[in-house]
Amino acid sequence: MRWWIFIPVMALVLSLDAALMPAFAIGGHVPQLWPLLLAFVSLYASRSAAIWAAMILGFWLDAMHPALGVGIDAPRAVVVFGPHVLACAAGAWCVLETRAWLYRRNVLTVAFSTFNCALLASLAFIAIAGIRGLYADPFPLWGGGSGGAAVGSDVVDALYSAVIAILPAWGLQSTLTVWGFATAGPRFAGGNRMNRGND
Amino acid sequence: MPFVSSRRILVIALAGAALLSALPQSSQSPWSGTLAADLWAPLVPGASALAWVRDRIRAPSEPYQGLPEDLRSAREDRDQLQGELDARQLRVEELERELGELSGFRPPDRAGWQPRRATVVERGGGRPAGLLGIDIGTNQGVGEGDPVVIGGNQIIGEIASGGAENRSWVIPLDDRRCGRIDAIVTPQASGKGGNAARQSMLVQLVPQGNRTLVGELETLAGVNPGDSVLLGDAGWRPAAQGMRIGVVESVGKLDANPLRGRITVRMESDPARVTHVVVKVRVPGEGQPQGQGARGAGAAK
Repeated sequence: MRWWIFIPVMALVLSLDAALMPAFAIGGHVPQLWPLLLAFVSLYASRSAAIWAAMILGFWLDAMHPALGVGIDAPRAVVVFGPHVLACAAGAWCVLETRAWLYRRNVLTVAFSTFNCALLASLAFIAIAGIRGLYADPFPLWGGGSGGAAVGSDVVDALYSAVIAILPAWGLQSTLTVWGFATAGPRFAGGNRMNRGND
Repeated sequence: MPFVSSRRILVIALAGAALLSALPQSSQSPWSGTLAADLWAPLVPGASALAWVRDRIRAPSEPYQGLPEDLRSAREDRDQLQGELDARQLRVEELERELGELSGFRPPDRAGWQPRRATVVERGGGRPAGLLGIDIGTNQGVGEGDPVVIGGNQIIGEIASGGAENRSWVIPLDDRRCGRIDAIVTPQASGKGGNAARQSMLVQLVPQGNRTLVGELETLAGVNPGDSVLLGDAGWRPAAQGMRIGVVESVGKLDANPLRGRITVRMESDPARVTHVVVKVRVPGEGQPQGQGARGAGAAK
């Protein structure tokens, strides 16, 4: 995978998630584009590249979503690095495990993988937050309410993200050759793969 | 482009992430805020431009939208003055109580704050949700606990600690993590002189998300839908006192205890849909009565 393409696209996707996607919120559910990017990369990149991409993406997501801790005058916003890194790795792993039996060059497959990726990442995040809540966090990392309610809300978010992902997924699929993925190309074959480097 | 391909390094990185995930907040807070601000900095120009696009797609929820600029400005000024008046009335009531007790001397409460306009640059979904990122920070004097208002007197939240030089986090008032909030229900003034005759009522509100807060009352006599609800919580900054939280949306009896009442308060503005806010930044040395604005354990009240 060409990292000099992944990094700017990731920056664009995170900016869209932070600034633009709330415009499409329905009933408090905001669609996200980062699961789409992660699912797309995980569908085509080598296993190690996909996990690295997930970890980088998760690192930025952690930076964008501070947790609330106890402060002196007001609750304190503390950025906790790690939970999203592991959650994204779990989401990428889910797509890596399922991609072998999926017809990848289909927009609906990317949307389906987006749902899987977002859902597993959410479950992993809530599980990590639940464990942290036992000893480290005054408020659960998932926000207010119970963990079950957070899972239910995230299932809807994941579905919505998958539906919204269909159009951008088509755009990403059309740029497939630019990414230099290890397992995709106009005429992919084992010989081609050897020349792509161990990315 | 080759990248780190060693499986061992990947496993070490994952183990490092797991270790970071397990660390308590106090271990990360000294450095994570600065690092997060540095990571976010390259995205700020793009996010600001996209925020402009977002506001074109979906109009922000701001008071008096669609009115001519002059009228809108005049109404906002009026609301601001109303907020100041409410705050002064609360202060007068408090002083009257204190005079009765004559427990000690307190410095007079002057304004003690100045407004700082800020743009909401970040309010993404995901987990944890709810906090709003604004484009001013400690460089502009913003500090933890400073109240955040719109439309002159509508309070929508407060500044969380842990901000950076040019970036702060706002905790919306309806965020469940805000904890309980002491408020005052002021019945709508009816006719001439109604303002003077109104009986305010104290209530403790619990944020429920989605712009609503719920409170319990001993009696519902005198509380009606549409009544104003003002913030009157000693744990908040003096500049936040008397600011308008919202209106009483519904009044009913508690299922568990029908002798007690339950009110639902709806914020008039949706914190998730505001684009610009005003932070009431504290001016050091002015108007900070002793013992006010220090919440101790924060939201763990």
